[in-house]
Amino acid sequence: MASTSVSRPQILSLYRSILRTARQFTDYNIRQYSRRRAVDGFRQNGGLTDPSSISAAFSDGESQLQVVKRQAVVYSLYAPEVRSVMETYLAGKRS
Amino acid sequence: MASITRASVSMPSLSTSVNQSQRRISGMNSVSFPVSGRSMIPSLRLQRGLQVCCACQAKQETVDKVVAIVKKQLALPADAAVNGESKFAALGADSLDTVEIVMGLEEEFDITVEEESAQSITTVQEAADMIEKLVEK
Repeated sequence: MASTSVSRPQILSLYRSILRTARQFTDYNIRQYSRRRAVDGFRQNGGLTDPSSISAAFSDGESQLQVVKRQAVVYSLYAPEVRSVMETYLAGKRS
Repeated sequence: MASITRASVSMPSLSTSVNQSQRRISGMNSVSFPVSGRSMIPSLRLQRGLQVCCACQAKQETVDKVVAIVKKQLALPADAAVNGESKFAALGADSLDTVEIVMGLEEEFDITVEEESAQSITTVQEAADMIEKLVEK
């Protein structure tokens, strides 16, 4: 944990990493949930001014990033053969 | 000095007029005219529609797509005046919104934006130009 206060670019970089990692999920549900949770979490803590609570929230976010990374691997290992209907719908819409 | 990157080009004349109609370019990757300052010099690019377009500005359809994504992200009404020069901050976006907009652009155009470039985007036009550069690669 950094002893100096967390800077804005660091926070934005963490946000970007979480959103990028969440994109890797093949399952629609967990992918959308991770994205929603990241957006809500960062917005909720956006108004913090106290440096100690900012760095606490930042390290919380970092551990969540590790969770998302691990889960992306686990979900890909146990991906079901029958894809969720939302996957096929979105794939059809894109093509 | 024009450099043609692929051999065997059979084109009768290379006219440098902008807004040409579709040409059949077979077996040719790109013709580049390296001069200092790339305004007013059209470059031939083998793109999806085989169109010849000016390389100085991003394509209008790219800008339109960027505008659509920005409007959706910031929940702006469909008739809000958003053009190439609009700054994200002026439209009511905070830094988190900007990150999400860049994410949305990455997904839409199937590109990957670097960390530093992503932080330097402030207007719609910058985003469109960067997308053009990345799509070209």
